[in-house]
Amino acid sequence: MVHGKPSGRLGRRRVLKLGAALGAAGTVQVTSPFIVKALGEQPIKFGFIDPLTGSLSLLAVSEVQGARYAIEEINSKGGILGRQAELLVEDSANDVGTGVEKIRKLIDKDQVNVTYGDVNSAIAYAVSQVATQKGILHIVPGGHTDPITGKDCAWNVFRVCNTTAMDANAISSLLMKKFGKRWYFLTPDYAYGHTLQAAFIKNLTAAGGTYEAELLPIAASDFSASLIKARAFKPDVLLNNMGGLAQIDCMKQYVQFGLDKEMALGGALYECEEVVAVPTAAQAGWWVMEWWWDQPGVPHVKAFADAIVAKYKKPCSARHWFGYVGIQSARLAMEQTKSLKAIDLAHALAGMELPPEVALQPGKVYYRAGDHELMPNVFTGEVHPPAASDPYNFFKVAELVPADRADPLASTGCHMTFPS
Amino acid sequence: MSVTAAGAVDTARSADRRWLVLAAIWLVLIAAPLWMPLIGGYTSLGTRILVLGLAATALNFLIGFTGVVSFGHAAYFGLGVYGAGLVLRYLAPSTPLAIVAGILLGGVIGTIVGALIARQRGIYFAMVTIAFEQIFYYIGYKWDAVTGGFDGLRGFQRQPIHLGAFVLDIQKNDLAFYYFVLFIFALVVGLMGFLLRSPFGRTLLAIRENERRARFLGISVNRHIWLAFSISSFLIAAAGALYALLNDFADPSSLYFDLSGDLVIMAVLGGIRNFWGPLLGAAVFEVLQDYISSQTVNWLFFIGLVFVIVVMFFPRGLLGFFHRRRQT
Repeated sequence: MVHGKPSGRLGRRRVLKLGAALGAAGTVQVTSPFIVKALGEQPIKFGFIDPLTGSLSLLAVSEVQGARYAIEEINSKGGILGRQAELLVEDSANDVGTGVEKIRKLIDKDQVNVTYGDVNSAIAYAVSQVATQKGILHIVPGGHTDPITGKDCAWNVFRVCNTTAMDANAISSLLMKKFGKRWYFLTPDYAYGHTLQAAFIKNLTAAGGTYEAELLPIAASDFSASLIKARAFKPDVLLNNMGGLAQIDCMKQYVQFGLDKEMALGGALYECEEVVAVPTAAQAGWWVMEWWWDQPGVPHVKAFADAIVAKYKKPCSARHWFGYVGIQSARLAMEQTKSLKAIDLAHALAGMELPPEVALQPGKVYYRAGDHELMPNVFTGEVHPPAASDPYNFFKVAELVPADRADPLASTGCHMTFPS
Repeated sequence: MSVTAAGAVDTARSADRRWLVLAAIWLVLIAAPLWMPLIGGYTSLGTRILVLGLAATALNFLIGFTGVVSFGHAAYFGLGVYGAGLVLRYLAPSTPLAIVAGILLGGVIGTIVGALIARQRGIYFAMVTIAFEQIFYYIGYKWDAVTGGFDGLRGFQRQPIHLGAFVLDIQKNDLAFYYFVLFIFALVVGLMGFLLRSPFGRTLLAIRENERRARFLGISVNRHIWLAFSISSFLIAAAGALYALLNDFADPSSLYFDLSGDLVIMAVLGGIRNFWGPLLGAAVFEVLQDYISSQTVNWLFFIGLVFVIVVMFFPRGLLGFFHRRRQT
């Protein structure tokens, strides 16, 4: 005979005990008490999504730094509408699915008032679609692909950085005039690369030029085969359209292959974060900067640039400015409308001209009402090795091209409509 | 009490415990939208955990219950994503049709690939699964006109479900979508549980435990592995179709081997010998990622650290560990 513990069958008593335990657990508060705050005590939340890990992380980190600086500046001046501003940052990990999940988190869980993102054009596209579905104001600080404010423009989506057409149109004639009309493209195979290359090719072929092009994975790291093909083509200019770490790797290999002695360099973006990371021989060519810190005589610019350098120990880049302008634009709209409703903010931003302390460049800088694209100046010029006395001065501005001249509204394909 | 009677009591006790555990699991899942916000969660995170948990559970049909390791199952998940997305984008605004299309696309292609590779074993099998996955990844990446390339397929939205006079608005109501996903999850894991308890499922376990002995017993091992691969593909494609509805978006990263690796990690984390292990693994993985990535950009380091700790100290996964503790 086996003597064991009482039967483990699920008897009535056990069910009752279990029910009582569950009921007790339900009534006992296990979290901190829910205290309802007055609106004035609740911060205004800015939700920022950027690829802080992955091949575009260099650029994303600068954008977030610029946004953080703007938040600190706003709070030091008393906040917005009497409330403090708070920045919530999420890593999209350079992955569209993660980016979409993170924007849902920011909107649904964190209840942010405005969303931002992403450096990666594909993610920028996807998250702006979610923001539109959720009816929240979304600002794209640094995702360049054209349709975001072009054929897929939306009432709630604004963009700070240039379109690819603006950048390509601003620099194309300069490259043809200086080097010739035989070009070789190294282009990332996604939205940004496609639209940028198409804009360049349109200008080149219109001027009777010839080209060869290669589409490469966005996070490519080995460019040896592509550079051999480029050498065989004997172009006047190598247009390196890659971005982030991929562009840096490509530039290093360009020097190692000795191509700097055979062809010129040029293209749309060669950003500060990338220029400081490549060998001196690759610090060359004619490019676009979407904002440049060295603007003698332009008010507020030096103070902003010095503050960023002092705070983050790196050159003040266009990406810092993107993040800064993105936050400050929303602040201006909130203060103008005294509202946090997306529709009010969008109406206020459409056509809004930025004040000099936010624009940080000469001329009129405004959000074009027809497509919600910011219209700054496009800084074209030459990248060169920095002088020993100033390691961050590696770009000489040749011309400031007004963005609305580089990319007129009629060519964007945007038909803006607001909800009634 | 006789030994036979004691055995009967033990069996009855075990059955009770199993029902109790099952009831607790479903209670937790049904009540998730209520308790998740209390611990910092949110409904769409719960939905994501269900979807990826379903994917990891489907993969575990192959790894945990057949003993065959695939590192390329994201291919059939991703095909499920594209199947659903393409239907919504180009064919018809119908959520049920999108799910069926996703399941069929991933499942049928998985069945064809399975027939080609079922004779491979070990590292060769794993490598071939990755190779096929890369083929589908590059199709998704390069076929820009149809799939949207790297930028992904946009311009579609999950549609409300019409049930006669009643409309389930899964488009705008996240809570309704959670319960819709939970319903599909229940159907799929129910089907999987039924299969595993059938003679077919027992045969798979026999193959897992000792393939040579199973062969000596006259079991057609290759055919069973092919069937298991096929079923697993259909199940994971269902998860893929739900993923497309979750994001209203399809992109090639859902076909990439990174995701296959994540799904294997989820399964191992929770315990591959336990039916519910992959769901627990997915929950731990996703919650960790969601929480840590908001705190530090070095979140991948911590995810890796947790995985190393689990592999070193809980070799049977989290549920395997608890199961063993209870036995001892």
